[in-house]
Amino acid sequence: MEIPFIVNVRKDTGLINSKVGIWLFLASEVTLFGGLFSGYLFLRLYADYPWPERALPVLPGLINTFVLIGSSVTVVFAWAALKMREWRKFQIYMSITLVCALIFMALKGIEYKAKFGHQAVQIDGDGPVQGHEIVEGHVHYAELDKDGQIHEVDKERKKEDGVFSANRIAFKASELSFVLTRPSHEAYVKEILKQAGDSHTITLKEAYRVINEDELYKGDLNRTELLESENALIADAGAELSTDVLDDLEDAYLDARSHDRKVRTKFLAASWDWIRDEEGIDEAATYVIEMDLWKERRKEDGEKLKIVTLGPVAEVTFTIDPPLTLVLKPGDLVKVSDVDIKLRDDTVAKGEMLPSPIIMGVDALDFRHTAQRAEAEELDPFPVIEQTWLLTHKAHHGDEEEGHDADHRNEFKKIWDCHMAWLKAETARLKTKGREPSMNDKFRVNWDQIIAYRDVNEELEYDAKMVYEYASDPDDDLVLYSSGLFDLKGFAGANHNEFDFPHLEIPRNKVGFESTFTPRWNTYYAIYFTITGLHGLHVIGGALVLGYYLFFGRKMYDSNPEWLANRVEIGGLFWHFVDLVWIFLFPILYLM
Amino acid sequence: MAGSIEEVQKAKRLYMFIGLLLFFFTVVTVAVATVESLDFGGHGFDKVDAIIGLSIAAFKASLVMIIFMHLNHERPLVYFVYILGIVMAFFCIALIGWAKDDPIRYGNPNASDGFYNPDKPATRSVH
Repeated sequence: MEIPFIVNVRKDTGLINSKVGIWLFLASEVTLFGGLFSGYLFLRLYADYPWPERALPVLPGLINTFVLIGSSVTVVFAWAALKMREWRKFQIYMSITLVCALIFMALKGIEYKAKFGHQAVQIDGDGPVQGHEIVEGHVHYAELDKDGQIHEVDKERKKEDGVFSANRIAFKASELSFVLTRPSHEAYVKEILKQAGDSHTITLKEAYRVINEDELYKGDLNRTELLESENALIADAGAELSTDVLDDLEDAYLDARSHDRKVRTKFLAASWDWIRDEEGIDEAATYVIEMDLWKERRKEDGEKLKIVTLGPVAEVTFTIDPPLTLVLKPGDLVKVSDVDIKLRDDTVAKGEMLPSPIIMGVDALDFRHTAQRAEAEELDPFPVIEQTWLLTHKAHHGDEEEGHDADHRNEFKKIWDCHMAWLKAETARLKTKGREPSMNDKFRVNWDQIIAYRDVNEELEYDAKMVYEYASDPDDDLVLYSSGLFDLKGFAGANHNEFDFPHLEIPRNKVGFESTFTPRWNTYYAIYFTITGLHGLHVIGGALVLGYYLFFGRKMYDSNPEWLANRVEIGGLFWHFVDLVWIFLFPILYLM
Repeated sequence: MAGSIEEVQKAKRLYMFIGLLLFFFTVVTVAVATVESLDFGGHGFDKVDAIIGLSIAAFKASLVMIIFMHLNHERPLVYFVYILGIVMAFFCIALIGWAKDDPIRYGNPNASDGFYNPDKPATRSVH
């Protein structure tokens, strides 16, 4: 079929049809991104936590801006080359455009990867305003020792069997209860069996029985006898846990439940018919259920139902012998207590919680939320911060190593003291310009500050006095890596391979909320991933279309070059739009 | 739209110039956000920085639309569709105006209007 008006313009619109099409599409795209920017604005204006201002490393975003603008120029040059019938030039410009798309996506990948590997923990604190200090960093690695205790291991061993991220929860389970209404246990059962290996047996605690439907209707046995009968047995006590066994139990339960539901519905219908005949009414059920007669009838029904339903038990319990230490991701658990945990599939494990600290290298301290809450309570934020768990806890680690913590103050208190010294100097400096330090300056210690505070001292000790001297000396300012925009050491944020960050072990009962920098952490990262993810998909889509013109366009160029030029113009319009969205995204996400 | 070869040749110089202009304003955007002596308004990010940053972005976006997307010489239909898109986008953003009247309350019930009140932040339940 021939498509009309793709080379010559239509008289009434004055345009080629494909241009009308692309502009309609772009208008819908403007609306789509407009809605998302609106979402961003809403989340930011009504955020109930300090919004992460200028939280992303600028350099990758800046390079990506250059790359996209550059590709916008080359794509329009590629179109111009086709207009002038220069195939070779078209190939070159279009190839550059595609390389730009590739660079853009690669940088996006690096950024995303840094976010996925970056951990944040909100601590359940001891201060007057509880639980709002945040530490950021990289989780270390750990394994279970013979006694089932979590022990940190070297980073080099991270790929070994039995080594896991040191944010897992260790729980010594002696009993597991599965809920049979949820037919989705498979993944967890497999994981538990894998961790149990051959050294633990997981067996059904009590026989699981469901009354057999056929026997029920014969009516020559009472319910106790029915339950004891051979046909009622689904799995005997001592049956080993497997997905098959659990499937059998689930099937038996669900069949019986569906039988019971049918019976109940029949009873309800019969009762309804009865009361209608009895009372001669056909009113709404809400009216009927208030009648004493109806209530009486339903009570009688209830007694009868006890006899004619199968009444399956919805929960089965397995015992673990000897008790097994389960190591689980925090995200797999919906409830954690000292004696039981609940998995996402509602499976409950009973036993004993083991010390499951989060062990991490800390690259930022964030007291902004604490300060915000303190100010709301009309408290001076600084003394409140001094009382938080992070600054007051006794460090267990590092004491022995190289006399690091010889003076029993924890490392984070020292960092905070350095920060206060820096802030004092910085406040004085800004005052000469008639300015004040920002909320970020005051209450957030960034990774480059942590490094700089330590590096001023040749012994690599945190030394508040020296920090103050350096910071207040105009000739000898602190070297902050992020202020050197083009320092590649912090290209995608704190670089844990390059720098040694202070070690922190957070006991599980001090962990308020923990997450990597994904949408789970806060609404900023939710909208960040939504908008940049959608934008990234547009880049990929646009690159595929432009790539098609480059690699499969020659035939059309030979037969109808003007048509190809028009196609490239249409693809180019989309590409410019992708650039346009990024022009807004870059300042909004990276600089504001 | 540039139709003849001469026009296209001439337009190429313009595209190059606009590209460089966009690069330049990108640098300006970063500079006003990161260089202290160019930080307008108060210290750190504030309203003034937001206005400047978004104004530059809007200017850059206009350049892309007018020159690269040929909106400087288009047919009326394109303008109509384009304005329709912009109006819709503004409508989406204006929806926030109604947010204040949203009956769904969250956060601190003591907050004056049911929304987040910086003087009385919502408490986050931590078990």
